[in-house]
Order: sequence, then C-alpha cells, then structure tokens
Amino acid sequence: MKINNLDALRKSMADSLKVDCEVYRGIDGDQTLRIPSAELKRVVSFLVDQMDCRHLSTITAQQRVEDPDQIEVIYHFWHGISFSIMTMVSEELPRLPEIVSILPGADFYEREVAEMFGIEFVGREETPPLLLPDDWDQGPPFIRNEDHRE
Amino acid sequence: MIEAWFYLLFFPGLIFQVICGLIFEWLDRKLLARFQRRVGPPWYQPLADMVKLFSKEDLLPEGVNDLVATLLPIVSLSAILTAGLYIPIAGFSPYSFEGDLIVILFLLSVPTLAYYLAGVVSVGIYSTLGGGRSLLQFFSYEVPLLIALSGPAILSGSWSVKQIMVSQATLGPFILFQPLGFLLAIVGLIGKLKRDPLDIPKAKSEVVGGPLTEFTGAKLAFWHLGMNIQAVLGIFLLVNLYLGWSKGANPLLTIPVFIVECLVLVVLLSGASAIFARLRIDQLAGLGWRILVPLGLLQLGFVILMGV
Amino acid sequence: MNKISIPIGPQHPLLKEPLSMQIDISGEKVLGGSLRLGYVHRGIERLAEQRTYVQNVHLIERICGICSHIHTTTFCHAVERLLEIDVPQRAYYIRAMMCELERVHSHLLWLGIIAKHVGLDTIFMHTWHDRELALDIMEELSGGRVSHATNQIGGVRFDLTDHQEAMIRTTITDLSLRVNNLLDVIKNEPALQARTRGVAKVSPEMIHQYCVVGPVARASGVDVDFRRDDPLPPYDQLDFNVITHNDGDAWARTVIRAEEARESLILCERILNEMPDGPVHVRAPRRVPEGEVVIRSEAPRGELFYYLRSDGSDKPARLKIRTPTLAALSLLPKQLSSIQVADIPVVMAGIDLCIACADR
Repeated sequence: MKINNLDALRKSMADSLKVDCEVYRGIDGDQTLRIPSAELKRVVSFLVDQMDCRHLSTITAQQRVEDPDQIEVIYHFWHGISFSIMTMVSEELPRLPEIVSILPGADFYEREVAEMFGIEFVGREETPPLLLPDDWDQGPPFIRNEDHRE
Repeated sequence: MIEAWFYLLFFPGLIFQVICGLIFEWLDRKLLARFQRRVGPPWYQPLADMVKLFSKEDLLPEGVNDLVATLLPIVSLSAILTAGLYIPIAGFSPYSFEGDLIVILFLLSVPTLAYYLAGVVSVGIYSTLGGGRSLLQFFSYEVPLLIALSGPAILSGSWSVKQIMVSQATLGPFILFQPLGFLLAIVGLIGKLKRDPLDIPKAKSEVVGGPLTEFTGAKLAFWHLGMNIQAVLGIFLLVNLYLGWSKGANPLLTIPVFIVECLVLVVLLSGASAIFARLRIDQLAGLGWRILVPLGLLQLGFVILMGV
Repeated sequence: MNKISIPIGPQHPLLKEPLSMQIDISGEKVLGGSLRLGYVHRGIERLAEQRTYVQNVHLIERICGICSHIHTTTFCHAVERLLEIDVPQRAYYIRAMMCELERVHSHLLWLGIIAKHVGLDTIFMHTWHDRELALDIMEELSGGRVSHATNQIGGVRFDLTDHQEAMIRTTITDLSLRVNNLLDVIKNEPALQARTRGVAKVSPEMIHQYCVVGPVARASGVDVDFRRDDPLPPYDQLDFNVITHNDGDAWARTVIRAEEARESLILCERILNEMPDGPVHVRAPRRVPEGEVVIRSEAPRGELFYYLRSDGSDKPARLKIRTPTLAALSLLPKQLSSIQVADIPVVMAGIDLCIACADR
C-alpha cells in the first residue's frame, strides 16, 4: 500500500490505531505527519507491518528558537515518496520509545540522537555513544543553554 | 685451514649468500613493479633498507622473552647460511657429501619453525594468529615438497645434490622426466618462502605483520635477510636438482648457464606473485593434501618405475 | 579453541580511515563483533550552524574526500530550493557530469581495495592507475583532483571550453575501454571469485531491516537508486540503467560496482551530448527565507540524505546529514557472524567504508 495520500493515511491511522495526528506542511519535498510521542511505536509498527514502509532514512532531532523547551524529533521514511513522522518531547524529560525492535536499522540513528540531544530511548538495553568520545563530559552538544549564535 | 675460512666467509658462505639475497630481493621487487605498471626500486634499495633497519631502535613489547626473541632470528639465519654451504653454485661445492640433500632440507625447515616460535613468543594477538597459520601452512606444503624433491634423488641414485647435478650430464636435465615434480617443487617453494599467493601467515589485511609484527631493528633485518637468502637457496637447489646442465660441455658456459637458469626461476616466482591472489588457509590445506600430495606420489611412482 | 578478541583499528592496514572494531574469533571462525565510530567526528552539523551558507559549501565539501562533490551538490540543491531560484540547466548538467565521474573514480578506487585485500596487488595497481584518468578530467575542469569546489549556491563555478570538452571525450573513451577490460579480467579471475563468491550473503530481508542503501542493497536485488526514484535535475531528463544483482554475496557487490562504473561512463557521454548552452551561475541572495527542505541524492555509496532548516538569516538553523556508509555499517556486525577470519577483509571492503562520511 503506497502512501501518496496523506489525508487518507491520517484517516486510516485515526480509525485503526485511534491515533490523533495532524499534517505538518512545513517541509518542502516531504509529506509529514505529527503524532504524539507516546504513540510512536504503534505508528511505526503500523507503517512497517501494514503499509510495508520500512526504509528509515534517518532520525533528525532539533530545537526551534521559538519553542526552546521542546525537542522536535523527525523520523524520515522513504516509500516511493519522502514521508516523515514528527514528534515532540520536552527538554526536561526527553523520552521516546525505541523502535529498534521493529527496525534494527534505526540503532545508529537513535544512538546519535541520544548522545547529541540527551534523549532517552525507553526499552533499549543500552545506548552506547556513537560519535562522541568515551570521556565526553560536556553534555549533549546540541542542547542550547544559551544562544550560541555569534 | 685458510681455505675453510674463505669458504665459510666469502664463497659460498656468508658474503656471497648475503649479496645474492640482496640481488634477489631487488630483482623480485623490480619485476613485480614492472608487472604492475610501476617503476620499481633502484638496485641499491635492498641494501639501503637493510642498513636502515640496523640503525633503528630494537624494541620488544613487555612480556616477551628477550633471549628467545633475539636468538630466533640468529638461529634461523645461521641454519640458512649453513645450508647454503652444501648447495653447488655452478657446479662448485666444497663440502658436498652423500646425503647432503637431507641435511639441506632439514636445515631449511629450521627457519620455518623459528618463524612459528617467533609468533608464539611475541605476546600480541596478530603474532600468535600468524604463527598458527604458518604452522598450518607448513603441514600443507612440506609433504608435497619433500615428495617432489625425492624424485631427482631416486632417479640419480644418490642423495648428494652435487651427484644429482652431475648425473644429469649423462641422463639429461631431470625436468624433462619429472615436469610434474618440478611444478610441485615450485609450489612448495612458494609456500616455504611464504610468498604471494601463499603469504597467508603474514597477510597484511588480516594479521598485520604475522609473527614478525613485533620485531624491529636488527632482529627484523636478520629475519628479512634470512627470507631472501632462503629464496636464493631454494632457487639454487631447484636449478641443481632439475636443471643440471654443463658438465662435459664447455666449462666456460657453466656459470652463465647457471645464472640464466636462476633468473628464469626468479621470473617464475615473481610472476606467480603478481598474477595469483592469496589463498585462504583452508583452501591451501585442501590444495596441499587433496591435489599436491597425490600428484607428488604419482610422479614418484613414475620415477621409481623409470629407475627400474 | 578458545575465543579470542582481535581489535581491528583504530589503526589497521585494513582500514583507510579510523574505525574501531572488536571481533571475537574462535580458531578461524568469526563469532561476531562490535563497532565504535567517532574517531573522525568533527561536529560538521553543529559547525554548519555557525557559518553562512556560502561558507558551508566549503565546509560540506570536506566531509569526505571521495564523495565531496555529491555532498555539496545536495546541499546546494537544498539551499536553492529554499531560495526558490532558477538555476541554469547547464549548471545542472555540469554538476551531474562531475557526480558521475566521482562515481567512476570511487568505484575504481574500491575495486582496487578489494583486489588488494584478496592478495591481487596487480589489479590494485592497474585500477588505481586507470582511476587517475577520471581524476585528470576533474583536475582539468576544476583545478583539483580531490577537492573540486565545483558548486556554488546558484550554479557551478566554471564552464566547459571546447578544448576541455574534446579532452573529456577522448579520456572517457579511453577510460571506458579500460573499465571494460577490467570487467573482463574480474569476471574471469578465478581467485577473486573463489574469495568472494558465497561470502557474507545478505538477503533482501536483511537489507530492509537494516535500511541499507546503495550498491550493497542493489547487489541483493533491492531495486532502489535515488537518481531514478527521487531525481535531482537533470537526472529526470537523462536515460540510464540501474543495475541489480540477486546473489547478495561479496562477489555480487564487486561486480555491481564495476558495472556501475561502466554505466556511469556511458551516462557521462550522454550528459556531454545533451548539455544545453547558457550561463552556469545565477546570483543567489545571502539570506535564505524561512523554510525546511528534505533532499535525497545518490552518492557512490548509496542514499545521501539532507535536511535543512532556515530561519531567515544567512546561517542555517539546522542541517542534518545522513551518509550512506552509516546505514551500511549497521549491517556490519550482523555480516561478521558466520564468516571465516580470512573473509574479514572481503566483508569489510564490501561495504565500501567511508568513515569520514559516517562520522561527519
């Protein structure tokens, strides 16, 4: 089943999963759906099992200046078209369910997001650092404590 | 007495063998380079490398037995140099005696054992791994090599290399009667010298440097020298056992013919190095026992029948 | 036999770039391994946020030496999309030609490496000699063999003169002959086949599970190529073949890269023939309007993914890069179980590692 109709997908997710999601139109070249972070695992399962949408390109995390208490996490998929799932977690308690048990290929991306943004992926045995050195003690590099712009 | 010192130190002893070893290394590297569309090193490169190695710091990792690690390359080189005393150079061999072929082969297996022990005594993982592989390799090529090299001895009725060479003057070069044996001997020699395609114990991508990974400085220079001289002696041995010529013919031709025959073998060895890919150790074991040994026995059977 | 653990890296003759692996072996059998990256992590994504878009083109090029051009191409496409400017077609064609040349030289480099690891030094020397021809073309056009600085935001930095075009055509013809020759040699070389056939088979299922891309995926029969599936101009107007194989072993991965190199050379000629006239650059404003964009392209190693967010200033607000080697590396520990020690170089080379890309 292809995802070319975002509204139809949203409807079927609302019906079969009882997940409330909205379309986000901000990304050019991408069809994005916003979902609550608690539903992440169910949505990804749905995508992988029901929709055969299995290619995860990467997981992007970012903080927007206009919303500094939240970390936005985007799961980018490719399914003939570019398709993404967007969730938000709070900076104080950054937690997301892991999806490595569904898509083993997500391992490296979760590890990178975990070390760069301090997000805890619940359900993983361990999340060893991927890129940062073993003796890094300065906290997640991307979390802005003050504005870093020159 | 003075004669003995001359033989031991100059010809066919130490100096001569070292020079031959260096020449061989240069020829080998230059040929390989030309096969690979490169320029290759100048003639003095092997000498320069040896001198440079001697000037380097001689280190060993913690936990390695210093005495054994120092003795191994020396013993290995000594065995090789001694073996060289018995191999006729263009017909000249001051110390030959009946049965010296067996002594030569025995002496030439000392370096192989020393190589394995070097891997064991160096504490690192790569050395041990390489050492284990070298022993496995030894079991795969040594038997076919010995079987092949017995052929000329049986055909000529003597176990003295000089005798074998001389008897080819009347019977003709043995390669004509034992082409298979010659081929097996070449393969066995490549295995013994641990050259490509049989350089499994020291395959760079897999075990870094193999048993010699931890050796530096003068010890490493001795190892390399030993390898090169071993190659030269292997070539001399094969030329004597299979390509005996001269005798009876013009004595002035003896030396040039000998040199040409040696060069042909060098080209063969370098060519094999350039053309073939490295075998896996299990592929070598399969090759050795399933193909080489039966072929060797076949050749030997032939030879025995012929002799009768 | 006891289980021992060999460290491979960070420095090892097998690796061109630092990577740390602990491989557990028992005798000659490999039991498994674990991986540690980050030795060349330079924090490119964070650095990009502190530099202007123009400066970033320079920075992005230095993520990797072998696939530098595709990185800048993708980045420039992303910025140009946000700027909503019309880049001249000729610039797109020149970018595509450099991309294909890069693919050729990367695959030839890789062929040499796998030959070297198998012990066929001669093929290694010959392949890298032939690769110099591709680098010669790049140097003729851009002035640099490795770092080309071809791209600017709004187009490319240089145009082709007639003399250069003639030189490119002759060199490509020469190179095509050599690549064809190489392909013949590889296909008839029994030793290479003996070391790679049947080694480390990867099933399409594993490809999907680990989200692997590029030649590794295509060697297992998964038909995905982002030049065709999500084309950046001018690939939407170009005709080319996507090559797949079904075996999924190291041999398939070898052959597929050689065939892709040949295909890329044919595509290069086509690009030269169909290149339109016109300018090669259009002026681009320094400030990029607010927006977010996702761009995918086909690097020599697979899918290259860029996510760019702009907040209206002259510096990016967030740049996220996912390089193909990172996806391939996640497959490595799985591939390592159930092979022999002697196959380790073949397996590691089969992924075509570019650690600088993976680490950023």
